[in-house]
Amino acid sequence: MTVQATPLLSLAGVTASVDEKAILHGIDLEVAAGETHVLMGPNGAGKSTMGHVIMGDPVYTLDAGAITFDGEDISELSCDKRSRAGLFLSFQAPVEISGVPLSSFLRASIAGRPGLEMKGREFRRRVKELAAELDMDVSYLNRELGVGFSGGEKKKVEMLQLLLLQPKLAILDETDSGLDVDALSVVSRGMDAYRRTTDGSLLIITHNTRILEHLHVDRVHVMVGGRIVREGDAELIPWIDEHGFESFEREAAGVPMEA
Amino acid sequence: MDRTSGNASGAVALTGVNAMPAPTWSWLKMNDTAVEIPAGLTPAPAAVSVEPAPGSADVVSANADAFDDALVAAGKRFASRARASAPGDARDHVALAAGEVDPMDVPALSRYQQGAVRVEEELSVEEAFETGMGAEAYGYLRSIGERPCVLEVPSGASAQVRVRVSGTPGTASVASVDVIARRDSSLELTVALNGTGSEPGLIGAAMRVFAAAGSRVSITTVQTADDAFISLDDAGIFVDEGAHVEVSHTVLGAGRSYTGLAADLRGDAARIDVDTSYLGAREQVRDFNYQIRHLGRRTTSSMDANGVLAGASKKVLRGTIDLMHGCTGSEGAERETVLLADERVDNKTVPVILCDEDDVAGNHGATIGHVRPEQLFYLGCRGLSPEAAEALFISAKLEDAALNAPDDEVRANVIRLGETVIPGFGEEIA
Repeated sequence: MTVQATPLLSLAGVTASVDEKAILHGIDLEVAAGETHVLMGPNGAGKSTMGHVIMGDPVYTLDAGAITFDGEDISELSCDKRSRAGLFLSFQAPVEISGVPLSSFLRASIAGRPGLEMKGREFRRRVKELAAELDMDVSYLNRELGVGFSGGEKKKVEMLQLLLLQPKLAILDETDSGLDVDALSVVSRGMDAYRRTTDGSLLIITHNTRILEHLHVDRVHVMVGGRIVREGDAELIPWIDEHGFESFEREAAGVPMEA
Repeated sequence: MDRTSGNASGAVALTGVNAMPAPTWSWLKMNDTAVEIPAGLTPAPAAVSVEPAPGSADVVSANADAFDDALVAAGKRFASRARASAPGDARDHVALAAGEVDPMDVPALSRYQQGAVRVEEELSVEEAFETGMGAEAYGYLRSIGERPCVLEVPSGASAQVRVRVSGTPGTASVASVDVIARRDSSLELTVALNGTGSEPGLIGAAMRVFAAAGSRVSITTVQTADDAFISLDDAGIFVDEGAHVEVSHTVLGAGRSYTGLAADLRGDAARIDVDTSYLGAREQVRDFNYQIRHLGRRTTSSMDANGVLAGASKKVLRGTIDLMHGCTGSEGAERETVLLADERVDNKTVPVILCDEDDVAGNHGATIGHVRPEQLFYLGCRGLSPEAAEALFISAKLEDAALNAPDDEVRANVIRLGETVIPGFGEEIA
């Protein structure tokens, strides 16, 4: 890990709750520019919550701590401002919005972003290019956002947005879940293309190590019960693949670790 | 017209506009609407143009009585039908008036039921004919327009005609159109209602349509007026045996827009399909009344509305499928999907299915919803503020209208409206 003086993303003592129930407890985490981090943990550990809290989901309350991105405290910013600051969250279950064609949505998402704004024809050419790169049927561009899309198509749309918006840091929340082999390959290709073309940072939330096989991972964080219980380099991934999260869960519950 | 009134400022007030045939609770304030027409509007017949496509010029007819004659002729084939002594029918009321029966033996009928019995048993086809906005508004609109344009498509022929209304501030521009599609003929009629300017003006259409046996009539209306305008689009349609009428209403502009359509499916196997697409933003008012009477056997109707409401806009959509006595085997369906993009929106939908016959089917469904918090968060994660999200819903509706515009002029009008909401809209979809 290359520790820089000022990390791109920094969580310092982040504690967050929903409906007065604490989900995250004192999270400290730093991601430097250009790095790939992986957040792993069992179901219900709070991984997705952390992604949503970083992005500013109003469902959650930030009870303590601060989130800093690109040198700015974003703790109080709305999610649209965090997006425009260069943060991106790929959803585990992207929402459907009837009445809004995908192409209109994509066009609105780049509007007003310095360096990304494109006129009509240029926009269409760029989006078609990206769709081809992701094996995505261009007819989807005229369909209502997410409506009637398969799980795989929805994830392709998430990848398309990642490549279109070129964020400084992308949080991929279980982008690999529920996908068949072909769709997984497309998602991997999307992540590769993102890293190749932008040198952006990735924070990958997953409990499946397959998606990480072709990635250079700088740092792994393990979350259990809303706390980061272990951090390490990429060597932690095969260990988790073999042993699972049980020992971390026991440790979190106060039972000594065997390994 | 007798209830039309003027006030001290010279404004005209139309009452009972877009009235539901079977009223509901008055306190819901949706049974009908009152329309105030600004004072001092000058009729502008030159703002209306009728443009037959090449090869269709012959359908513009000088026979001003063609529509009424067609209805009278139809009336001779569709004589009023007596019920089999149903309680409360006209026969009972004749006996009651003659003192032959005890009043307690005759069921009281609602205002709607009385009207239905009259239509079924007493009124001729021409007497029963009506438009969706009602007699007062129809009379007003016809009084604004010059003599009606009559489009008469001969038996077996096909035609395409465009009617354009181009309103300007301070004027009232109304297209009065009678359509007679003779047996097995086909007509594609486009009505473009447009008005530009920041001072008050009125645009409208008053249309009567006779679709004879086996004919196909398609009517596409696109309204793209600026906010200072009021739009009144009124139609009455008679559908004969085996005829099929398709209506598409796209309502995008005008500060206040009123749309009324009444259809009389008198012939067996008559059919009408109505698709409505609307957008409401800012303080705009959208008011619709669709009223479809099934009188023939095996008749079919569908009403499908899809809208987006934003800002502090208001909308009422009344859709009545009336499965009247004798329409055995008929089927009517109405659906509405409306997206409410702002908490301030006032949305009312009144689907009504009236049934006085066995072996019929009436279906209705509505999907009405605000933008859900998770949708707003998703859009936010892509950089869209709540205001930008609202603009997205509006632009998506306009984009759809531009892509499906019947001609370049209508498309340009849609883009003009789009530019007021999203700068660069035209360039984006070019």
